[in-house]
Amino acid sequence: MTDTPTPALEIRRLTVSYSAHPVLWDVDASFPSGALSAIVGPNGAGKSTLLKAALGLIASDGGQTLIEGRPVRTARDRVAYVPQRDAIDWDFPITVREVVEMGRYAATGWLRRVGRSQAALVDACLERVGMTGYAARQIGELSGGQRQRVFIARALAQQAPVMLLDEPFAGVDARTEASILKLLHELRDEGGSMIVVHHDLATVRSAFDWALLLNVRVVAAGPVGEALTPANVRRAYGAAVHSEDEAQASWAG
Amino acid sequence: MGWLIDLIPLDYSDAVVVLAAMLLGITAGAVGVLAVLRQRSLVGDALSHAALPGVCIAFLVTGAKDATTLLAGAALAGLVGALLMVGIERTGRIRPDAAIGVVLASFFSLGIVLLTYIASTDNSNQAGLEKYLFGQAAGLLERDVAVMGVLALVALTLVAVGFRALKTTLFDPAFAGAVGLPVRALEIAMTALLVIAIVIGLRMVGAILMVAMLVAPAVAARQFAGRLALVIPLAGAIGAAVGVSGALLASRAEVPTGPVIVLVAVGCVVVSVLVAPRRGVLWRARRLARDRRRILAEGVLVDLETAIHAGPPLTAAELALASARPARALRRALRDLDRAGMLDRDGERLYLSRPGAAAAHAVLERRELWAAWLEHGPALGVPDAREPDPTDLRASLGDEYADRLHALMRAAERSP
Repeated sequence: MTDTPTPALEIRRLTVSYSAHPVLWDVDASFPSGALSAIVGPNGAGKSTLLKAALGLIASDGGQTLIEGRPVRTARDRVAYVPQRDAIDWDFPITVREVVEMGRYAATGWLRRVGRSQAALVDACLERVGMTGYAARQIGELSGGQRQRVFIARALAQQAPVMLLDEPFAGVDARTEASILKLLHELRDEGGSMIVVHHDLATVRSAFDWALLLNVRVVAAGPVGEALTPANVRRAYGAAVHSEDEAQASWAG
Repeated sequence: MGWLIDLIPLDYSDAVVVLAAMLLGITAGAVGVLAVLRQRSLVGDALSHAALPGVCIAFLVTGAKDATTLLAGAALAGLVGALLMVGIERTGRIRPDAAIGVVLASFFSLGIVLLTYIASTDNSNQAGLEKYLFGQAAGLLERDVAVMGVLALVALTLVAVGFRALKTTLFDPAFAGAVGLPVRALEIAMTALLVIAIVIGLRMVGAILMVAMLVAPAVAARQFAGRLALVIPLAGAIGAAVGVSGALLASRAEVPTGPVIVLVAVGCVVVSVLVAPRRGVLWRARRLARDRRRILAEGVLVDLETAIHAGPPLTAAELALASARPARALRRALRDLDRAGMLDRDGERLYLSRPGAAAAHAVLERRELWAAWLEHGPALGVPDAREPDPTDLRASLGDEYADRLHALMRAAERSP
């Protein structure tokens, strides 16, 4: 136990509030390297906010994020991010291939052409998510599941050891969910660290290694079997079904 | 700049106007795409209205009447307006559309008050400022056009150099932030580009209608191009064509340039929204009508095929009753089938011809295959993201999987 490996993602004392209302309160979390981890919790628990604040996409009131032990600012190339798809304008004039190429821009530079080796890498990423035949399509012509595959291909193209996925199974058919889950397992087995915001406890129990149970504060964290005990789940989800006042009282302590 | 003007086969003053209109059209078209895709078209409207008091103040302060000085004032006022909009939004209580409305109305009112004041003074120079309301291309100097050219070059270079960063930010700001792009700064840069385009166009199109030159070419270009790298140059080209033809028309008809340019631009939009392949209203309506007609004909084919097994061939009237289809739709379907040679007749009674029967069987097979997909699809284990198209499963899944579906279906029939 003395030689613990550097966690893939470590969050220290993160607090985020929207107009004086804490959304995340003093969150300490550490996700192991080389594991498939889940962030679970009821609606409004701050799951997506945790990822966004950790990446510095929204302002936080304090806290620190380390990717593989380095501050996120200097480790942008070590982490790939699959954002939620609800804010995307699907009529945007862009092809599937161009979206995946976006994953290479940061590495190749924002000015240079996408060279042949880069193009081959993009092809490989499309192949891996089963979208080879769709490279020239407009992103808007795809189904929800196919769009999610494209976003995952873009994250693959970033070739980062840590991948953060925000609700990747939302609005996705069962077949796509199964194949994305299979892909995540493969990536984990190749040594990648996957951290997934997800709301379905059953999937997390059966398919994930590690879980962070969140409701504004951290309720439990650890290997899935230890973190998602019935008592912990009740503590995380129970507060949400009571009145707002009680929920506030519970985090105000 | 002189040699460019010499290149244009028109007399000198027309050539200056054409060149200016071209610069305006290219820049406003290209930059407008960025605003339209961010759903910020009305920011362009607010900024061009906000530029008006800048023109007036520049005149009052310097006493100069040349376009370059006045447009410098316009640029400053536009930037102030942009900052105000961001500021009002940031307070968190006022939504962007309300912030746009407030800035547009207040700056424009100030501009009108100042215009009226200037008109009431005895300054002999004051005539002509109202050009900035509706636009007037005539009277532009070669020097002004040279300044416009430099501004256009700056704006287009910025778009070209920042293209990937802009594309990423426009499409997916969350991803852009995660890979380390300065999203806020890029958004401000896009607003600054809008201000540049407005400054180029203000004298020619006027504060009130300038927004059309930002929006119309972008909308028209999007109808025809599916990649940002094509939409932007196409919008620039459409903008240039619109600007040049509008400016020439206006100078011939001796009306303000702005409204004429805008009418031409709107004409372009209407045509492109109607006829563009795949996205055009007419194109889609035609496809929908064709699909409906085909589905109807297929339905009647299947009705006739199943009726054969039930009893003697039906007449058209009996078929209408049995299939519960409106008589008109049925007549139309029968006419289509007749034309395709799929029907034989025995007096009133209808038969399927040999090709008709084959077509009916094909339709039935497609339906069967779809039912089989719904039941056995998961067992197929299609490895990639292929998705079945209910109208043609075989083409969308490929022969291999269609055949395997058939096999699964037969196996299921044998062992109920």
